[in-house]
Amino acid sequence: MSAVRHNTRSPNKNTLLKVVILGDGGVGKSCLMNRFVSNQFDEHSFHTIGVEFLNKDVEIDSETYTLQIWDTAGQERFKTLRTPFYRGSDICMLTYAVDDKISFKNLQLWKNEFLYYADIKENAQFPFIVIGNKSDVTSEEREVTQLEMEMWCNENSITSCIETSAKNASNVHEAFKMAVQHWLRLENRADRNEPHIDDTVDLTKKSTANRTSCCIATGDE
Amino acid sequence: MIRPCVSECNLTNGHVTPIQAVLRRKKSLSKLNFRGIKKEELQRRTSMYLASMTIDELYCEILFEILHNVGCDISYEVGQTALFSYAQDAFKIPNDKHRYLLELAEKKEAPDRMINVEVIEAKDLRPKDSNGMSDPFVTLYLSSNMSHRYNTSVKTMTLNPVWEEHFALPITENTADENLCLEVWDFDPAESVKEKLGKIFDVKGVKGMRKLVKEIAVTATTGQHENELIGRAKIPLSTIPASGMTMWYSLDKKNKINRQGVLKVRVTFSSEKNNQVAEQEYRHLLRIVLLHELETSKVAANWWCGTFTPQGEQLLTQHIAQSGLTPAEVALCQYYVYSSIHQSHALNLTLFSNLLEKLVKPLQVGGVSDEDTKLFWDATKKLLPSCFSIIRKIRRKSVTEKAMVKQVVEVLKILNHIHSLEPPRSNIDLFPDTMYPWVTYQDDRTVPTVLNDAVAQGANDWLNHILENNNKPEESNVGKLQNMIQIIQLVRSDLQKAIEFYDKFFQEIVNFQFAKALYVFYQARICILCEPDVIEICKNLRSLQYSSYNDLTKQEGSPDPLAEGTSLFELYLALQRFATLGIGLCPADYDTFHIKNFHQWFHGGVAQWLDIAVYKALQRIEKAVELDQLVHVDSNVKYSSSAVDTLTIFYQVKVFWEQLNWPDVESCYTFIAKIIDDICRCCVFYADKMSARVEGMGDTQDDKKFEVTAEWCLAINNIDYVRETLEPFTRDLGMDGVIHKIGEMKSPVEAQRCQHTLDNVIANAIDTVRNKIIELLETVVNKMAPAMKRLLIEGAELGDQDSNSCDRLMMYVDNNLGTLHRELNEENFSRTLEVVWEMLNGTLGEIIQSNIEKRRPPAFFANLRKTLKLMTGSFKNPQNCDNDCDELRRTEQILRLNGLETAELIHEVHLELAKEFEKVKDSQLGEISIKTKFEENTLTIEVMNARNLLPMDSNGTCDAFVRIHLLPEAKFTNIEKPKTKTHNRTQFPLFDETFVLKLTPEQRELEDALILFSVKDKDLLGYNNQYIGEAYLPFKDIEDTSQSIGVMPQIHLQLARPTDKSMCLDSIKALEYRQGDKQAKEFLRKLKQRMGT
Ligand SMILES: Nc1nc2c(ncn2[C@@H]2O[C@H](COP(=O)(O)OP(=O)(O)O)[C@@H](O)[C@H]2O)c(=O)[nH]1
Ligand SMILES: [Mg+2]
Repeated sequence: MSAVRHNTRSPNKNTLLKVVILGDGGVGKSCLMNRFVSNQFDEHSFHTIGVEFLNKDVEIDSETYTLQIWDTAGQERFKTLRTPFYRGSDICMLTYAVDDKISFKNLQLWKNEFLYYADIKENAQFPFIVIGNKSDVTSEEREVTQLEMEMWCNENSITSCIETSAKNASNVHEAFKMAVQHWLRLENRADRNEPHIDDTVDLTKKSTANRTSCCIATGDE
Repeated sequence: MIRPCVSECNLTNGHVTPIQAVLRRKKSLSKLNFRGIKKEELQRRTSMYLASMTIDELYCEILFEILHNVGCDISYEVGQTALFSYAQDAFKIPNDKHRYLLELAEKKEAPDRMINVEVIEAKDLRPKDSNGMSDPFVTLYLSSNMSHRYNTSVKTMTLNPVWEEHFALPITENTADENLCLEVWDFDPAESVKEKLGKIFDVKGVKGMRKLVKEIAVTATTGQHENELIGRAKIPLSTIPASGMTMWYSLDKKNKINRQGVLKVRVTFSSEKNNQVAEQEYRHLLRIVLLHELETSKVAANWWCGTFTPQGEQLLTQHIAQSGLTPAEVALCQYYVYSSIHQSHALNLTLFSNLLEKLVKPLQVGGVSDEDTKLFWDATKKLLPSCFSIIRKIRRKSVTEKAMVKQVVEVLKILNHIHSLEPPRSNIDLFPDTMYPWVTYQDDRTVPTVLNDAVAQGANDWLNHILENNNKPEESNVGKLQNMIQIIQLVRSDLQKAIEFYDKFFQEIVNFQFAKALYVFYQARICILCEPDVIEICKNLRSLQYSSYNDLTKQEGSPDPLAEGTSLFELYLALQRFATLGIGLCPADYDTFHIKNFHQWFHGGVAQWLDIAVYKALQRIEKAVELDQLVHVDSNVKYSSSAVDTLTIFYQVKVFWEQLNWPDVESCYTFIAKIIDDICRCCVFYADKMSARVEGMGDTQDDKKFEVTAEWCLAINNIDYVRETLEPFTRDLGMDGVIHKIGEMKSPVEAQRCQHTLDNVIANAIDTVRNKIIELLETVVNKMAPAMKRLLIEGAELGDQDSNSCDRLMMYVDNNLGTLHRELNEENFSRTLEVVWEMLNGTLGEIIQSNIEKRRPPAFFANLRKTLKLMTGSFKNPQNCDNDCDELRRTEQILRLNGLETAELIHEVHLELAKEFEKVKDSQLGEISIKTKFEENTLTIEVMNARNLLPMDSNGTCDAFVRIHLLPEAKFTNIEKPKTKTHNRTQFPLFDETFVLKLTPEQRELEDALILFSVKDKDLLGYNNQYIGEAYLPFKDIEDTSQSIGVMPQIHLQLARPTDKSMCLDSIKALEYRQGDKQAKEFLRKLKQRMGT
C-alpha cells in the first residue's frame, strides 16, 4: 500500500502487502496458499469460488510483513469476479503447473490480464513472481522444464521464479519470501528515486520488532 | 329487451312460413296470387324490385307514410308540414318535384295496414262453471267491423289461461274512432268441448287436428252454444303509439261493478309490405336521414350515438310502424347503415355495441333470414377495421384517457358480441388482407387473434414511433444508454397505463390479458434493443483511472468511464424495474421470457460499478472531511460531522448493493468480499484525510511546542466511530443469506470456506483501520514527545531544585493529557496511553543511553526517574500502567539501577544473582548442606558438608573450603568473613563447623541482606584459590528461633557460578558503564573470577 511506500507507517507495525495469486484453474493456487498459511494439503480440494482470502505473516530480515493473500479462480467464467481484486496489489504470483504445458503457455495471458486490471502505471516495474507448482511429479509427467521457465521469465523481464510443490511442501515458504524480497528490492529502488519527507520527529531509530498488542495477533511459524 | 325472438318476429301467428314472410307487399306482389307461385320466382321478383328502387320512389313512399301516420304519438311533437319539409331537405328534393311526388302519394290508395294483436294471457277470471272453473277463450274484433270476429282457442278448466296467440286485423283509413274490442267467454257448447276433444284421438295427422280446433272455435262463435261472457275490454286505436305497446286490461261486464279479471295483450301496427322491401326502404331512409342530420348538425366524429331530431325520429318510426318491421329487423338495418356511414363519418361506438346486444340473440337462434345474416356480416366487416384501429391507436394523444377508455370498452363489447356469433368462415372473409395489411396471422384470423395482433401492432407502431423520435445519431455510449433508459421508461409508463386503465376491461369483456400481451411484446423488443449494445459496452468498459485511493486529486483520464458506468447502472435499474413488472404481470410465463436473464448482459459491468461506487464514496468522503467544522455533532457524542457523513456514504454503497440485487450467489459472494475490502479502503482513506485535515493544528510557532487540540481528538474519535460500524455494515450486506445459498447450491464445506474468507476480509479491514488510528495517535504523541523529552532531561539535570521551565513542561504534559482524556473516548484514550508508554520508553531509552555515554553520575538518573514518576503520575490513567507496559517497566528498572550508588548497585547484582541461582537444579558444581538460625541478633551458621563437588585437581578430587560473606559488604565491615578448614582430596568434604556471628540490631533488620557461601579449591601455594561455586541464602529465609542449631533442618544449596547470561543483567551492565569507578571495576574483576574463567 502506498502508505507503506512513503514510509509513514512506523516500523513496529507490520507492513501490509496485498498478494494476488493468478494462474489457470487446477495448477494448485489454492493448495499453495493453504500450504503456506496453514501448512495443510488437501488432495481433493474444491474449486475456488471467485476469490479466497487469507492473512499470513512472514519475517524477513527481522521485519514482519503481513501478506494479504487473494487466491483467485482461474476459470474464464470467474473473470469478472476476480479482476476487481487486482487493483492495489503489491505482488502478483503467476502460477502454472509443471505437468501442464498449457498452463505455462497461459502465463502471458495472466500477466496481461493483471496489468490491464490492476491499473498499474505503464513502464512501472511490478513485482511479478513466476511459480511452477507440482514439482513433485515424475519426470515422465513433467511438461515444462526449469530452463523453459527461466527463459520465459528472461523474455518478460521477470527476475523471480521458483518451482514449488504444495503437495510435499517444498519451496512454498521460499516462494512467498522471494516475492516479498522482490517487492522490497523494487521498493527500495523507488524510495531512492523519490526522497521521502518526514515531518515528525524521528524517535524510531531504536527499533522494536514486536507489534503492539492491538495489532493482528498471528502466530508465527 | 332480450325476449324469445319467435314471439318478437312473427306478427301474424305462430305458423308463419318463409313465403308468407316474403309476400307482404300488396301493391307489387299481391297476396291474391301467391298461391301457385314458386318461392324462387317470388325471390326473383323481390330482387328485381329492390334493384330498381329509386330515390324518388322511396321519397314518394315516405310522403305517403307521412300522410298516413299512425299511432297515438303522431303530430303531438311534429306537424305534418314540418315532416314534409324535413323529408324534402333530407332527400334534397327540389320543390316542384316534391309537389309532384306528393300528389302521387296522395293519389295512392290508403295503405293496407294491419293491427297485430297478441292475446297473451288472462288472470283472475270469474268462474262460470259449477266446478268453480271456466273454459275461457277470447273473441276479438274492430268496432267498425263487428261481424269479422277472431277467436282464440279454448283453455279448459282454468281461471288463468295462457294463449299467446297472434292475430292480424286489417284496419281502414279512419282509425280515429276505431276501437279494438276483446271479449273473454266461458265456453259451454251443446256438444261439450270434452266430447269434441274426445275426438282428438280419432283425428289423423296435423291437418285434421287443425280442422278440429277450428271446429271447436266455430262452435264457440256461431252461437250454437250457451257461451257466457266473462268480461270485455275496449282499446281505442288512438291510444296505441306507433311503436306499439303491451298492456294489462281489466275486463268489464254490463251491470257488473266487480272486475271480471284482467287480460294481457300486445298491440302493434304493421303493414302487409314485403319485408325485404320494407327493410331496404328503411335502410335507405335511415341513411338519408342520418346523413342529413350529420350534415346539418355538424356533429363531431365519434359523437353521434343514435339520437335524431324529432322530425327524423318520426319519419323513421312511422316507416317502421307502417312497414311492420320487427325490432330485430330494425336493429339489423340500423347496424348495417351505421356501419357503412361509420366508415366515412365515425359514429359513437356505443351505438354498435347496443345494437349488437339486440342482435346477438336473434342471430344465434337462427331467427334471421340468410339475406339479413349476410347483411349483418357485411356490416360487421365494415365496422371491425375501425374497432381494431382504435385498439391499435390506443395511445393516441388527441383523445383524453377517459374518452379513450370509453371507446375501448365499446370496442371490446362489440368484439365480444361478434366473437360470440362465431363469424362464418366459408362465405365471408371478415379479415381480408387489403383491410388488414398489418395482421401477421395468415391462417387463423379470428376476432381474438386479430385483436392480439392489433394490440401487438399498436405497441409496435408506437414503439417504432418513439424509437424514431429518440433516434439521435448518438455516437457516445452514454448517449446510447440514456436513450435506452428513456425508451424503457416510456414503455414502462405505457404498461402502467395499460394496467391502470385498460387491462381490467380487456379481461372482463373479452377475457384478453392486455397488459400481459403488451409485456410479452415489449420484453422481446427491449431485449433486442438493449442486449447487444449492453454486452458490447460492458465488454469495452475502460477501468477507472485514478492512481491510488489515497490521492483522488491526482485522478487521471477522462471522466467518461464514470458517466458510462453510471448510465449503465441506470439502465440496469430500469431493466430491473421492467423485469419486476413482468414477474407481477406474468408470473407463470416469466421464466420463458428472454428478459429474465437481463442480468447476464451486465455481468462485465458489475466490477466497474463497484469501482465507481468506491470512487464516488471516496470523493464524497473527501468533501465531507473538507466541510467538517470539527465540532461535536451534539453534546452527547464525541465525533463530528464527517464521521456521520462517512457512514451515510457507506450506507449509499449498501443501497447500491441492494439495488443491484444480483441474483447469482457465487458472484454475490465475491462482490461482497470486494465491497468489504473497498469499504476498508474508504476507512483508511477517511483516516488519512482526517489526519491531514487536523495536521498543523496545535503546532505553535514560537517555542515549537505542539498542543493537543480538540480537533485532533475529534479526528481520532471520528475514525474510530467509522471503524466501529465496519462490522455491522458488512453484516448488513446480506452475506449470511448468500453463504447459506452457497451451502445449498454447492456444499457446506465450500460455504464454510466462503464464510471464512469473508470473515478474514472483515477482520483484516478492521485491523487495518485500527492500525490507522494508532498511526494517528502516534503522530499526536510523537508531536508531544520533544516536550516530554525536554521535561525529563531538565528534571534530571536540575534534581530537586525548583524550576520554572520544569513546571511549565509539567503543565504542558498535564494539559495535553487532560485534553486527550476529556476529548477522546475511553478506548482511544487507553490506546493513547499505550502509545505514550511506548514513546516514553523509546525516549527514556535514548536519554539513558546518551547520558550513560556521557558518564552522568547516578544522581542524574535518580532525578530522571523521579521526574518520570512525577510525569506518569499525572497521566489520567484509568488502569494500572504496570499491567500494560512491560517495556516501560524494564526501562524504568534500568533507570533505577543507574540511579543507584555503586555499593547499592553491587548489592543489586548479588540480589539478582541470588534470584538466578535459586533456579539451579542438579548442579554440576555440587552442593553444600548447612543449618542456620537467628536468635535475637545472633546468627548461627553450621556448615555441615559438601557433595559432588566438581573436581578441580588433576587427580580428580578437590581440596575444598567454604568462606562465608555477609552482604551488602559495606554494612558488615565489622564482621570478619568466617572460613572453614580445608578438606583435602575429597569431593565430599565433611566440614561440620559452626560459626556464631554477633550482629547489630540494624544489621539484623536489613531488608535484603544475604549470606554468600563461596566454595573454593585451595591452591597448594595458597595464592590462587580456584573457585568451585557459590550459593546465596537471604536473611529472610532464616528462621528466628531459640532452638538449638542441632535440631534445625538441613538446607541443601546448589552451587552455582555467574555465567555469561548473568553478565547481561541490567545491574551488571549499569556497573560496567561506571568505568571510572574503582569499586565497580574491582567488583566486576572479581565477578569474572567467580565465573571461573
Ligand atoms: N502433485 C501435485 N498436485 C497438486 C499440487 N498442488 C495442487 N495439486 C493438485 O492439483 C489440483 C488442483 O489444485 P487447486 O489448488 O484446487 O488448484 P487451483 O485451481 O489453482 O486453486 C488438486 O487436485 C490438488 O490436489 C502439487 O504441488 N503437486
Ligand atoms: Mg483454487
